[in-house]
Formats: sequence, C-alpha cells, structure tokens
Amino acid sequence: MSELELFLHPGNLRLIWTSFLMTASLSVLGCGIGFLAGFFLALMRNPRIVPFAPARWFAIVYTETFRRIPFLVKLMVVLFAFQFAGLNVSLFTIAVTTVALTAAAFASENVRAGLESIHANQWDAAEAMNMGGFTALWRVILPQAWPVMIPPSMTYSVGLVKSTSIASQIGLFELTYAARIMTNKGISAGLAFGTILILYFVLCYALNRFAAWLEVRLATTRHRRA
Amino acid sequence: MGYTLQYGQVAPYLGYLAEGAMLSFGLAAIGFLCGWLIGLICAAISEYGRGPIRWVVRAYVVFFLNTPILVQIFFLYFALPDFGILLTSFQAVTIGLSLNAGAYLTEIQRAGFRSVRREEREAAITLGFTRLQAIRYVIVPHIIKVLYPPLSNQYILVTMTTSIAAIFGIEELTGRAYNINAITFRSLEIFSITALYYVALTFFASTILYGIGRYLFRIKAKVF
Repeated sequence: MSELELFLHPGNLRLIWTSFLMTASLSVLGCGIGFLAGFFLALMRNPRIVPFAPARWFAIVYTETFRRIPFLVKLMVVLFAFQFAGLNVSLFTIAVTTVALTAAAFASENVRAGLESIHANQWDAAEAMNMGGFTALWRVILPQAWPVMIPPSMTYSVGLVKSTSIASQIGLFELTYAARIMTNKGISAGLAFGTILILYFVLCYALNRFAAWLEVRLATTRHRRA
Repeated sequence: MGYTLQYGQVAPYLGYLAEGAMLSFGLAAIGFLCGWLIGLICAAISEYGRGPIRWVVRAYVVFFLNTPILVQIFFLYFALPDFGILLTSFQAVTIGLSLNAGAYLTEIQRAGFRSVRREEREAAITLGFTRLQAIRYVIVPHIIKVLYPPLSNQYILVTMTTSIAAIFGIEELTGRAYNINAITFRSLEIFSITALYYVALTFFASTILYGIGRYLFRIKAKVF
C-alpha cells in the first residue's frame, strides 16, 4: 500500500510528467532539426540541384556511416566530441544533437527516394520552361514528392522516439531515467517500468496512427491529381 | 582544450574489440533467428488465425512495436523477478532482442503473406495440401523475393540494437568499449573506433546479404 502511496504522491506524478515532456521535446526538436538537415543532405546528393561532386560524396559517406552506428555509440561519440571541442553544453543539447544526426541520415534516404520517384522528364520540362534548379524543385518536384517522402519519415520518427530512451544512459532526465529514479525511491520495478512502457506506448501509437492516416490521405490526393 | 587525440593508446585493444564484435554478431544472429521464427508464427496466426489467439498476437506486436527495446529489457530484467522469474542479463537481453525483432518481423512477414493471391492458396488446398503444408511449400517459396530486402534490412537494425546489451553488462562490442574507456580514459578515440567497427560490421553483413540475395534468390532489389 505504501508503494502505491509513493507512486501517487504529487511529487512523483510531477516527476513522471516532467520527464515525459523531456522525452517529447527531445524527440520533436531532434527530429525537426534532423529532418531539415536530412532534406539538405538529400539535395546535396542530387546533381541536378547541387552540381558539385565533393558535396555529393560527403552526403553519401555521411548517410552510409551514420545509418550504421548504434544510437548508444553515437551518443557517446557526441558526448566526448563536445568535451573534446571544449564546449560546455547541457545533456539535453548532446541528446538533441545525437537524435538530429541520426534523423538526418535516415531522412535523407527518404527524401532521396521521394525525389527519385519523380520522373526525370519533370526536371527537363521544368528546365524547358526556364526554371532554375531550385525553382523546379520547389514548384514542380516537391509538390509531387511530398506524399512519397512524408509517411516513411513519420514512421521513422516513431523509432527515434523509442531511441531517446537510450539518452537516459548519459543521465538525461527523460522517461526511462525517471523510471530508474522511481525504482530507487522504493517503487517496484514492475510498476515503474510498466508505467513508462504505457507512456511510451501512448506517444508512439498515436504517432504511428497519425503516420498511417497521413499515408492514406496523401495517397488519395496523389491519385486525384494524376 | 587540453585534450589531444591519441589513437596510439587504443591500438593494443583493437583485437579485444574485434572479439567483442564477434559476440555482437552472435547476439544479432540469435536475436534475428528467434525473432524470425516468432515473426513467422505470429504472421501466420494474424493472417489466418481467428479468435482470442489472434488478438493476443496483435496485442503483442502492437505493444512491442510502440515501446523502446531498452525499457522492454529493463522490464524483463528488473520487474520479472517480482513475479518469481529470475533472468541473467544475457537471457534478458536475448529474450528482449528476440521478442522485439519478432514484432517487427511479424509485420514484415505479414506483408509477405498478403502478397500471396487467394487463388494460390485455394489451389494448394485443392491439391490436398494441409494448411501448414500450403504455407511451407507454396507460400514461403513464393514470397521470399518480396520478403528478402526488408528482412536483410531488419537484420542490420538488429545488429545495431545489440549495442544495448552493454547497458546490462554484457561484454560485446559496446560493452568492451566501455571497459577500455575505464582503463585508458581515451573516450573519444575508443567510441569513434567502436562506431567504425559497427559501420564495418553492418557493411560487411549488407554486402554478404546482397550477394546471397543476388545469386541465390535472383533478387535485383537494393539491400543497402
């Protein structure tokens, strides 16, 4: 009974809520920055937009390596790289950077798939109408490519929300860390981890449903246009 | 500043790390194979089964897909003892990896089952195959081409997930990196090299998987 009292204590509930917000903001900020960076990486890989080979090589090497490093190892590298650079940054910044680096690598693949799904004739037609690379991209290619790019990116961001649990390893105060604090306070592991499992589930399931809904919705608009 | 990179100090431990990479590979293989089996059974149930068992399987898949594997293993490791089930860290990690991979592989293989047309199954039943035989001899050979690319992709993801084992004190690649870090304190050097080991490990696996797919199953789709 006292365990339940400990768990339902306002302070404990606030601890869970604060850490939940931390997980959410870490995911949103990391994915936001990462997807933006991934978008530009994908553009760098496209010779029609950035006709500069070293930029392309950089983008290829970046995506191929960062997709293959586990989140935990990347987190450690980022942590010690900040230390090496002599920057005194918060744990939150380190975690956001790691999430963003990961998201960028995966998002750039999704964006590239989206860009490649558009027939090359579209680029030629845009050029024939005297559009520059960026104008063609913005006015012609992207409006058609969004439906291919967005659903897999949304699904992938669910995976990133789950990866943020690893940020507890550097002591960032997010959901998983909160569960460990709770177990230290004497709440049983089943209750503590069970609670945050449910919270993660709510967050990820909602995102997944949204992604599925978006996919259906975007697919229908694409058919109507064709 | 005051920190100069000294990769030389880490050099003696490269072999030690490589042994850890072997364990990572083993963990990934166990996790993937068990997960694949779980996935095959659960996919068959969620496509062809009905009633409560189907709901149980769906609940398992949806739950494991939407929660982090780290917390799943924490739960197995720390919470199950309350219910009288004691797992060693290695058991907890392998069971967690398998169950987590199993959920993903269920969804992948379910898509494969879907790609089989209804007539094919009916033809198999007409020819006197039992339901299990139809799956074994008609459906699985047919869908391997659809399934192979996402399956190999999942194998790579499982390999990366094994790094979580380090948190539970298992001395695989990441775990050994922690060990060396505790001895030498050359943190950035060690973890950047560990990262390269993972890149090499998964790249190697991708290449092999691509070769198998290309020459055994005649699959032209890109694996990586």
